[in-house]
Amino acid sequence: MGGPPYDCLANPLGAVRLTFEKAIGLGSGTLTHPSAFDGKDWGALELFRHFLFQESGLSQVPILNPKTLRWVQHNSLVRYRGMIQDMLGNEFYVGAYREDGCSWRTNKFTDVSQYPMESPSDTCIWERRLLYCVPVPGQSSWTEPSCDMDPNWSPQSREKRRRMDDEDEDPMDLAPEDEVKSSPITKKMRDDGLHSASPEPMDLKTASSSSSMSTFQFVDRDNLPCLVKIYDSPESDLKLNDVFEFIGVLTFDSELAVEKDDNDGLSNSFSDDALVHLPPNKVPRLHCLVHRKLALHDFLPGSPIMEPKPHLVKEIRETLFRHLTAVLGNDGVAAHFMLLHLLSKVHTRVDDVAVGKLSLNLTGLSKESVSVFGTRINQTFKNLLPFTNCMPLTLEYLNTASLAPKKDYQTNRLIPGFLQLPEGSHLMVDETQLESGSLNSIGIDNTKLLKNLIEFQKVEYDFQYYKMEMAADVRLLIFSEGKSNIVPADVIVPFQPSSLESSEMPVAEALQAWRWYLATVRSLPHSIGSDMQKVVEDDLVAARQADRSLGSRDFSRWLTMARLISSSLGETSLSLEHWEMVKELERQRKERLN
Amino acid sequence: MKDLNFNADKALAKEFISNFADANGEAKYMDILQEVANHKIKAVQIDLEDLFNYKDLDEEFLRRVTENTRRYIEIFAGAIDELLPEPTEAFHDDDHDILMTQRAEDATNNTDGSDSRQKMPPEIKRYFEVYIRAPSKGRPFTIREVKASYIGQLVRIAGIVTRCSDVKPLMQVAVYTCEECGCEIYQDVTARVFMPLNQCPSNRCSINRTKGNLILQLRASKFLKFQEAKIQELAEHVPKGHIPRTMTVHFRGEITRKVAPGDVVELSGIFLPIPYTGFKAMRAGLVADTYLEAMSVTHFKKKYEEYELRGDEEEQIARLAEDGDIYNKLARSLAPEIYGHEDVKKALLLLLVGAPHRKLKDGMKIRGDLHICLMGDPGVAKSQLLKHIINVAPRGVYTTGRGSSGVGLTAAVLKDPVTNEMVLEGGALVLADMGICAIDEFDKMDESDRTAIHEVMEQQTVSIAKAGITTSLNARTAILAAANPAWGRYDLRRTPAENINLPPALLSRFDLLWLILDRADMDSDLEMARHVVYVHQNKESPALGFTPLEPSVLRAYISAARRLSPYVPKELEEYVATAYSSIRQEEAKSNTPHSYTTVRTLLSILRISAALARLRFSETLAQSDVDEALRLMQMSKFSLYSDDRQKSGLDAISDIYSILRDEAARANKMDVRYAHALNWISRKGYSEAQLKECLEEYAALNVWQIHPHTFDIRFIDA
Repeated sequence: MGGPPYDCLANPLGAVRLTFEKAIGLGSGTLTHPSAFDGKDWGALELFRHFLFQESGLSQVPILNPKTLRWVQHNSLVRYRGMIQDMLGNEFYVGAYREDGCSWRTNKFTDVSQYPMESPSDTCIWERRLLYCVPVPGQSSWTEPSCDMDPNWSPQSREKRRRMDDEDEDPMDLAPEDEVKSSPITKKMRDDGLHSASPEPMDLKTASSSSSMSTFQFVDRDNLPCLVKIYDSPESDLKLNDVFEFIGVLTFDSELAVEKDDNDGLSNSFSDDALVHLPPNKVPRLHCLVHRKLALHDFLPGSPIMEPKPHLVKEIRETLFRHLTAVLGNDGVAAHFMLLHLLSKVHTRVDDVAVGKLSLNLTGLSKESVSVFGTRINQTFKNLLPFTNCMPLTLEYLNTASLAPKKDYQTNRLIPGFLQLPEGSHLMVDETQLESGSLNSIGIDNTKLLKNLIEFQKVEYDFQYYKMEMAADVRLLIFSEGKSNIVPADVIVPFQPSSLESSEMPVAEALQAWRWYLATVRSLPHSIGSDMQKVVEDDLVAARQADRSLGSRDFSRWLTMARLISSSLGETSLSLEHWEMVKELERQRKERLN
Repeated sequence: MKDLNFNADKALAKEFISNFADANGEAKYMDILQEVANHKIKAVQIDLEDLFNYKDLDEEFLRRVTENTRRYIEIFAGAIDELLPEPTEAFHDDDHDILMTQRAEDATNNTDGSDSRQKMPPEIKRYFEVYIRAPSKGRPFTIREVKASYIGQLVRIAGIVTRCSDVKPLMQVAVYTCEECGCEIYQDVTARVFMPLNQCPSNRCSINRTKGNLILQLRASKFLKFQEAKIQELAEHVPKGHIPRTMTVHFRGEITRKVAPGDVVELSGIFLPIPYTGFKAMRAGLVADTYLEAMSVTHFKKKYEEYELRGDEEEQIARLAEDGDIYNKLARSLAPEIYGHEDVKKALLLLLVGAPHRKLKDGMKIRGDLHICLMGDPGVAKSQLLKHIINVAPRGVYTTGRGSSGVGLTAAVLKDPVTNEMVLEGGALVLADMGICAIDEFDKMDESDRTAIHEVMEQQTVSIAKAGITTSLNARTAILAAANPAWGRYDLRRTPAENINLPPALLSRFDLLWLILDRADMDSDLEMARHVVYVHQNKESPALGFTPLEPSVLRAYISAARRLSPYVPKELEEYVATAYSSIRQEEAKSNTPHSYTTVRTLLSILRISAALARLRFSETLAQSDVDEALRLMQMSKFSLYSDDRQKSGLDAISDIYSILRDEAARANKMDVRYAHALNWISRKGYSEAQLKECLEEYAALNVWQIHPHTFDIRFIDA
């Protein structure tokens, strides 16, 4: 036999088992007791990391989404990209067990034991953590790797395409649900691909890829949540609202749901078991082997890794600026601020100040003009940014919407709110729709939340008995007629379009370049030299002497703008020229305000 | 082998129960057992701390008890069974006892069975319940820290109760009677779900092959009270970016009905997996649910009076107390990220410390809590200061003048939705009893609350006469208010009284009233510019130049200081009286009095001084305390009226000179000690630097001579 005796892709559990047996010293005479691992890794992860990153197996791993879900195999290796929406705590499982006369076996990375456990003579209980993940809110369609518009961009998607076509022809697609339910035992047998313990004829039949696809009945076809089980990683690695890619073993276990129904009569009022509220036939389980945090540029489809070279960056900036100007009806000042706004990012938090944010308020828009420019800007952003969200701020919305996530103790879940957004999201607030009227208590809370978000980049999550502040990094753009007081932005720019002509649709290459530009340039490092520091300080003091109404917020905004301008040109340190640009921009803006 | 061990341990348990003597030499557990025998109490709590302090401690035994607690409860119960003394008092036989006597008689007739199910399980005979309590030393676990390795062990956990079920009966021993042979059959129930027996296992039935039908006897079976609850991690235990974890808790028997949702509790209990039954067991516990079998419940109390110093804290406080500069150090550590405002912070520190409450012989109470009101332009970090103080205080409530709930600030009578009864619900001020209540947007308060707050601030009670309920609730709280000026921004062209949008009756109740203004001056502008640039350059705040004390240390120090109740020594009485009368006179002299100096002011001076003495850990007030109190009051006035000072035409230097001259003239002396001079001028709100400047300037004019080393002043007789 050449090559490894296992297939990481189709039978990851086999690989896990092999490494486990090796680790406990099976066949070498001296047996290690598995409790020595204490649930920690014994070398299996190394194997998978090697497979995924060294042998570039990553691209072969299918991404779990409503489309691929129809054909991916139970107990095979899959990828899932999503935001951690809720943490369901930890779960204890029998990690390793031994039956009389048999050797140790492990249950790691699986929900159902691969061998029936009748009366294990010795067991180790380990724990894993449960994360409830959802697709990133407001994710733009172009970020989906299996882009249907262009099936030829990579070999793996072609492969997928082929398999999906197969799928469509398969009459089993509509297999009645009860048939699946009636055979829980066979499915359990099928769990084990390598060592088929008792190959019944039925087993062979169900082993075909189409057997269990109808286990998933989606309410929402575009929205596939996933319950990820984390094994080996420190708790601090994975935080709420982080966007991650999880690579692991997929499980769907329909018999769990069936069994729960039987038990319902006996179960008490405290049925906050994850199984009840997240039925396994709606939410797939992923036993995570490897996970990595995704930054914005990880969502660029097939991006060539480019060095942010100044001349290249300047070129892209120029074209992007032209595009934005066109979108904004030839308003150059607004386009300038818009560009800076798109590049803004919370770099750090000092005390209560989120350094680096630059929210923008375009004023002078009416209901009518918003319908033109608002939709146009929205469309542009959808094309440029991975995560965009839009909030129509009407009185009714404020009084009814639940913006902050709230803990529901009946179900023991965190009910998502609109403002539960991952780092780097963009949020557009349309205030032109707002009419005068009275707010109820929900409305007041919601306005407070919005204000907190824009001022401190923090959202208070409601845990009923107490509130917890979660840090956020959301770029906010507000459309309003006058200055918005509900959502007080950092920069207020009166919008003065000079033409209503719509801009032409940009070409794909340009879009690609702009996306790359927006995702990369914003995280460039930045420094202020000591001579510049002196100039800036003197300018600030002089400005304040001239205008008493300026405060530390204004100073902070200028420095943020200075940083963004130099970053937007691909520079990493502040020059006098950039600083002058900031002042010039501010002057132009002031002129409009008066 | 295991059995042997357990028998030995049972002997150890027996020995411990019968021989343990507490600090007073009383046989603690035997006393409890006697009570149990007399049917006075049901619960027997074995305190592991007692086991730890037991003279013949077997450490191995202690370890075994903590690690396999559930088994050892059984062992202790067995030991108690054997040790239970005869009742010394007669008690009324209940059903249970009658049943037991009957069974004892039956037992002699019916001993045909070797079957275990026919033997009476010990549980059914017991009247008592055994709990093993974890030692209360050390920090309790957070829910997050309880890992798989703790399964089966006794742990102590802190958390907040989020849900509670009703108390339900849980079957502990099921008793059946056989239709055929009449035998009583017992079945131990260990899990929440059990499979009832339906076939008689007795010898007689099996020999006769009658398959006797079993009938469950509810009256004879033994039930336990059972309650299930959920606890959740406390907010301060949750790491950043994570969600609080929850845990299921089971309460049995006597410790049911001890908690309600919202309670912050510390539980000790056994961390156990839930045994699966039926079809679930087929999956063989692949996933195990866990719960905590509660053994004891303690409610957290967040009060200074009950604040317990931990480990090294006592030592740390002692070290801090020796440091002469503790007053400044503590004050600076309050909200260190807010630049400047030293005097405001000092005042807030004194608010945290407070003065002792006084109760006069005739029943009159004099409050010790200091009330402070911060006024100022929007955006001068008032709210941040308020929130920070609430964080430092062990019991603090932050609210806005327009509290969002219907209860408001004081209290409200509400109709309970379930029972339709009228219930009293305390508002923020009542909840902050014995703590601090920070009220933001004080000026926007509802009119009804504003009238009630008069009472709270002086009498420290909330009276309610609504819907047939007349009562008075305690609200012994220090009020820290923040208010905006009447027109949003402070208008310098108007008088302070016009700017402050509050009635004088309310204002006079504040010990200190502070105006925080955003004033124009080059230095502070440059400071601000530097700060902002630094933050953007280095992604962190500039170094503070000192290391602020941790909030926990602050809290510990303050709670230690609050234990003292300093008094005014005889020799200081005169001094305070003169100081007070001079303020009154000054006010009478000026044609536009700014403040209403009343007896309340005198009480304020004493309160502030007492708080300062507490900070020094002193039982008596010193003159320096009074001076500092006067200085703070003066500063707080200056923050309001500093413009007038400029109008009066005197610059600081000449003002200092006139103060010194007047004081010297009053004492009829030509020599003035430097320390005294400093005292006088600081009371008027001048700094030491200004004094030095004044001394030099006037020495050059040959008005006085300055001693080169001590800086004492000698007026040159003109």
